[in-house]
Amino acid sequence: MHLHKYEKIWLVFGLGSLALFLLIIGFAAFWKGTHPQSHIETIDPQNVEAHESFKPENLGLREVADGKYIVNIVASAFNYDIGSDDAGKPVKTIRVPKGSTVLFQVTTKDVVHGFQVAGTNVNMMVEPGHISRLETVMKNAGEFTVVCNEYCGIGHHQMFATVEVYDE
Amino acid sequence: MAKDKLRHQTTKNDDTSIDLKGTFISVMLLGIFILVLWFGIYALFLSR
Ligand SMILES: [Cu+2]
Repeated sequence: MHLHKYEKIWLVFGLGSLALFLLIIGFAAFWKGTHPQSHIETIDPQNVEAHESFKPENLGLREVADGKYIVNIVASAFNYDIGSDDAGKPVKTIRVPKGSTVLFQVTTKDVVHGFQVAGTNVNMMVEPGHISRLETVMKNAGEFTVVCNEYCGIGHHQMFATVEVYDE
Repeated sequence: MAKDKLRHQTTKNDDTSIDLKGTFISVMLLGIFILVLWFGIYALFLSR
């Protein structure tokens, strides 16, 4: 088969890009452990309180080690339940110091919701029956808005919270 | 007449004479655009 000189060049370029991106996917999946955020672990969406992480008293921010945090959240139409403060008011803002490692654990009682901390790499789907987990290092200080980015119904736009990363 | 026909047939398969410069440039521009975009987004991912 005879190929034009230019054809050979762009075929090599195309195949090279394909090989490069496949390598990157393999690297991300096998070395870096990148995978879908909803794992094999399932939960009863009718009874999320039965799960240790989603008991009402365990919701919200918790420091588990120096600079390591876990945030447990139950999403529902149209709210993120991040626990309540000492006065019994619902928490809407999470405050963590810059550079801390935060593991977000989110589940939903009803329909599919989104969980995106806009301006960071935290962005995942929250599906009923599954627990979505994403661990991240809060590299940059600032105020980040948590938004639901999966249309979940009439009050979709009312689903928000704030993550505040402060300089120590 | 016969000579003309013969010439026509030989040039038909001779693709070195086809001008693919424009195609080549557009294919490469598209490829470079995709790569630049990808690495730009990756840099954004790393910085956040
Ligand atoms: Cu929504």
